[in-house]
Amino acid sequence: MEVMFHSSSFLLPSIPADEASSTKYAIVVLNQKLPRFTPLLWEHAKLRLCADGGANRIYDELPLFFPHEDALLIRNRYKPDVIKGDMDSIRPDVLHFYLSLGTKVIDESHDQDTTDLDKCILYIRDSALKQESCRLQILATGALGGRFDHEAGNLNVLYRYPDTRIILLSDDCLIQLLPKTHRHEIQIQPSLQGPHCGLIPIGTPSAKTTTTGLQWDLTDTEMRFGGLVSTSNMVKGEKITVESDSDLLWTISIKKQDSTTP
Amino acid sequence: MEVMFHSSSFLIPTDKTSATRYAVVVLNQNLPRFTPLLWEHAKLRLCADGGANRIYDELPLFFPNEDALLIRNRYKPDVIKGDMDSIRPDVLDFYVSLGTKVIDESHDQDTTDLDKCISYIRHSTLNQESSKLQILATGALGGRFDHEAGNLNVLYRHPDTRITLLSDDCLIQLLPKTHRHEIHIQPSLLGPHCGLIPVGAPSAKTTTTGLQWDLTDTEMRFGGLVSTSNLVKRDKITVESDSDLLWTISIKKQDPTRP
Repeated sequence: MEVMFHSSSFLLPSIPADEASSTKYAIVVLNQKLPRFTPLLWEHAKLRLCADGGANRIYDELPLFFPHEDALLIRNRYKPDVIKGDMDSIRPDVLHFYLSLGTKVIDESHDQDTTDLDKCILYIRDSALKQESCRLQILATGALGGRFDHEAGNLNVLYRYPDTRIILLSDDCLIQLLPKTHRHEIQIQPSLQGPHCGLIPIGTPSAKTTTTGLQWDLTDTEMRFGGLVSTSNMVKGEKITVESDSDLLWTISIKKQDSTTP
Repeated sequence: MEVMFHSSSFLIPTDKTSATRYAVVVLNQNLPRFTPLLWEHAKLRLCADGGANRIYDELPLFFPNEDALLIRNRYKPDVIKGDMDSIRPDVLDFYVSLGTKVIDESHDQDTTDLDKCISYIRHSTLNQESSKLQILATGALGGRFDHEAGNLNVLYRHPDTRITLLSDDCLIQLLPKTHRHEIHIQPSLLGPHCGLIPVGAPSAKTTTTGLQWDLTDTEMRFGGLVSTSNLVKRDKITVESDSDLLWTISIKKQDPTRP
């Protein structure tokens, strides 16, 4: 079984050279409060999308991360490449501002079958960024919290694109899909992440999951809703391995500290 | 198959006629704006560990024209339970001096704070009485996702106990596969956004009535179709499924429905 490697270098102020040459990031901002490290993710990304009301968040909240700088300067600096979605949340003044800066606006209000995050993932996969011969990693903020049906729909996006690296990020944690088709090696940044973590069998029970590197490792352990789900676990080292017969969601807490603004 | 009835009367200010007895559990996230209303309905009020900080700090903010100390005395938990690693010492001392029962479960690391509170309520006299018991829990969503998942799992692990998770934005309830479900909603307070989520296992066949996009023996699974961003069309929704589902509906933003 092939190994899939996971790293969280995007949380570092500068990405190690070997990774920087092999991984390209795209960022999608959804309509919840921006995590405090959003400027850092934005700087790492080669392609920056706002899903509908996510543009309001960039407009309103990014300047708050730079209280000593002029808001207009910040808004000009952090300009999305694309705003996509059904356009029922974005404010007219925000839309006009980014249009005048040259942001591409794609109105998908006719398509009610897919979520805003779906639409953005599809755009990124079809974009030039994906054609390049390197790993693409999509970082999405604002996918958690708020209405639970929204959150569930966003978690389902991870399951529906198991071959696309998508990471959901909030101030408190990150979530990634670990497809059952691979063994997983997760490298963590102990100064930035953990120790709290979990493995969640959303969608289907797992008959056998095995891990290393956790406080409470699993050994061919069954996990299911209604029974054992690995929550409030803790990482013990810097490398975690996971192997399972079922797709799992891996989640790890993000440490509260000074904003890692570039 | 027996029918299970669901209503959200706990969101209505005056509901003296209901045969349901409520217990409220407050977990450690921002208090929803209707927390005072839930508190008033409840016969048993628990704080799970840091939930006590929330009651202490945030309840007075719902009553800005009243004295904070008066509010804290009025909204006094019956019990504070959990592993006690989040509650502030000053908050703990305050409620202990008011007579709140404090149960330190720091030795038990196998169950979540919500688990511990559910067990307490199930063993209490409130559950012995011959009336329906409904547990209302705030603060179970948001924050760390592993916490949230653990709290959702509490619903699956106690399928015969009525537990409703509440936030400012929505509520979540388990619809066990063992029953047909009739959900009565208050359109002035709930909706229209809703969803049915097969969190634990796929559903081969789910059938609904009352939704904008009803399901008819429809398969639902993560990786495929999950009913999200649906809309309620009527005041009564019915659901029947071969799998346990989570029902969720949005809560309308409006003035706090204080008693």
